[in-house]
Amino acid sequence: MRPAAALALLASLAAAALLAQHLVSVAVVAVLLFAVCLRAPAERRRLYLLGTLVSGGALFVLTPFIETIGSHPIWTGPIVPVLGQLDITHEELTSAGVNALRLVAVGFAFAAYALLLDHDGLLQAVRFARPAALATRLMPTLERDAAGFLEALRGRGVVVSSVRGRAALLSPLLASALERGLNLAEAMEARGYGSPGRTSLPRPRWRARDSFLVVLAAAILTAGALWL
Amino acid sequence: MALARADRLTFTYPEASGPALREVSLEIEPGEVVAVLGPSGSGKSTLLRAFAGLVPHFHGGRFEGRVEVAGRDTRSIRPAELAGTVASVFQDPEEQIVLSRVIREVAFGLENIGTAPEDVVGRAHEALAAVGSEHLADRDVAELSGGELQRVCLASAVALRPQLLLLDEPTSQLDPVAAGAFLEHVAGLGIAVLVSDHRPRRVLEQADRVVFLDGGRVLLDATVSVAKDWLGENRPIWLGASMNARVAVQAEPVCRLAGVQFAYRAGLPVVENVHLELCRGEIVALAGANGTGKTTIAKLAAGLLAPDLGTAELRGRAGMLLQDPTRYSIRERADEEVAVGVQGDRARACNALGALGLAGMEGRHPRDLSSGERERLALASVLVIDPDLLVLDEPTRGVDPQRKAELAELLHAGAGRRATLLVTHDEDFAHAVADRSIMLGQEAVLA
Repeated sequence: MRPAAALALLASLAAAALLAQHLVSVAVVAVLLFAVCLRAPAERRRLYLLGTLVSGGALFVLTPFIETIGSHPIWTGPIVPVLGQLDITHEELTSAGVNALRLVAVGFAFAAYALLLDHDGLLQAVRFARPAALATRLMPTLERDAAGFLEALRGRGVVVSSVRGRAALLSPLLASALERGLNLAEAMEARGYGSPGRTSLPRPRWRARDSFLVVLAAAILTAGALWL
Repeated sequence: MALARADRLTFTYPEASGPALREVSLEIEPGEVVAVLGPSGSGKSTLLRAFAGLVPHFHGGRFEGRVEVAGRDTRSIRPAELAGTVASVFQDPEEQIVLSRVIREVAFGLENIGTAPEDVVGRAHEALAAVGSEHLADRDVAELSGGELQRVCLASAVALRPQLLLLDEPTSQLDPVAAGAFLEHVAGLGIAVLVSDHRPRRVLEQADRVVFLDGGRVLLDATVSVAKDWLGENRPIWLGASMNARVAVQAEPVCRLAGVQFAYRAGLPVVENVHLELCRGEIVALAGANGTGKTTIAKLAAGLLAPDLGTAELRGRAGMLLQDPTRYSIRERADEEVAVGVQGDRARACNALGALGLAGMEGRHPRDLSSGERERLALASVLVIDPDLLVLDEPTRGVDPQRKAELAELLHAGAGRRATLLVTHDEDFAHAVADRSIMLGQEAVLA
């Protein structure tokens, strides 16, 4: 399967989840993408899946307190300054569920992209390879850097287990990513990136299966926009 | 006619207090192998970057004088246009890998310089074979060890068939056999090579000429035999002198691995049936070819990994220095970074920095330090906790011979208080520091 076709399919599923209006439709797309993510090695997929589920859960919990829709209250709480009266309605819960599942579906689609796609093959088709390369490498690099920082700390007898401790690593992680990005750009320049007359490895043939995936992606997108 | 020439080159990085190179004049003939030696911060990497055109094009800064490669002034052409004529391999392989499959990574430069598409794959395989890594062609770069990554970078450069090959610490992560084979291969290519290395013994065997830099100036530009005499007289430590081994008095065991097995992926053990005892007072070197599991054993000993089978016993506290010094930059000041392991005790941190020759750098950001200084900062961050078991994974990467000698002294001075396990490809350093050396599977006691 050509990576561009696989990317089209993942993107269409994510877009369908964003466009679909019904809870069940969005849930089906999310479950489908979850099943795709399970093809990645367990130790690598854990971080992506956990991050996505925690984000989706947080959105589900917070949305009813922020939104004010519906006329079928399930629970009525106290009046809080700025926010007003806290209540949860049936409509708010449904809306929270749809939004959380949308976020989860998009997260799973990204996880599948980061974990399963042949990024080199994708970059072959991209004219502006430098930013694409940097962007593509960002997540796996951050993953490795985070693990490296934690391991170095353990090597000094410091065990970081709290959320606050891990959050403190965000700034050095970002600095590390920027430093690596600069070094990578220098290496690419030294290896001739940007010189005229660039050629390319022969690409694998576009097969009927790839065409089918692109048509399927278009169909999913249309269905998401019109019927789901 | 010279292939490359630097004429009175003086270069200052943006915002630097002084020039990195001062009045450097140098000529490189076609097919000549030139070893560039000098202490950390002497301008070796900057000189290599100048011949690649990266200085000043990529870095900016103030550039005086002239550099020519194959008759072209590097100020008038972009580094990308020099690729193919010049190829570079930088110090850290992880920071120069662009793509995720090995074969595509090696092909990347070939595509950039416009190699005919039908030739790209063949030349990439040929280059991988030349550095003994054809078996890696279809692997994902994320799965490779540091040494394997370094070979992939070397293959990427060799594949371009350049006239001038610039190698900045190209064998720092290769085992001695692989490093020797690589340098021999490079010398046999018949192209001009400018190679910087902190392990000069092997480079001197292959070089035609030696350039010694200090403080950005060329102190010596001579044939190898003249250079050896000069080094013997002026910088004897570069020839491996004055680092003396010692014999330890062994006391009680601090760490014991018995029948240990470990696998990162189920069914594919990296190490099997490992037995190792480390006693207080001794320094043990762990050596072996790339990919034989040295780092894994070190992590098992330090308690960073738990064995799948067998037992790992540790009496006391372990501290481990990882290979990559960039992992020791989570704080914004050097002293705060070192103090992380001692609950923020800045006084202890400053003492540790002083012991590693970093006094006066307490307020500097770890990322602003040179690569050699970062290596020492990382070591200070581990030594400060005063561990019962000290595990060091490649502590001399990017460290010049003078600093290595100081490190050897430091390790000897503290050896009585702890057991020390040293994972290294640096044979000279291992001989100078260790009481016994383990070649995964065969043990030898050093005289």
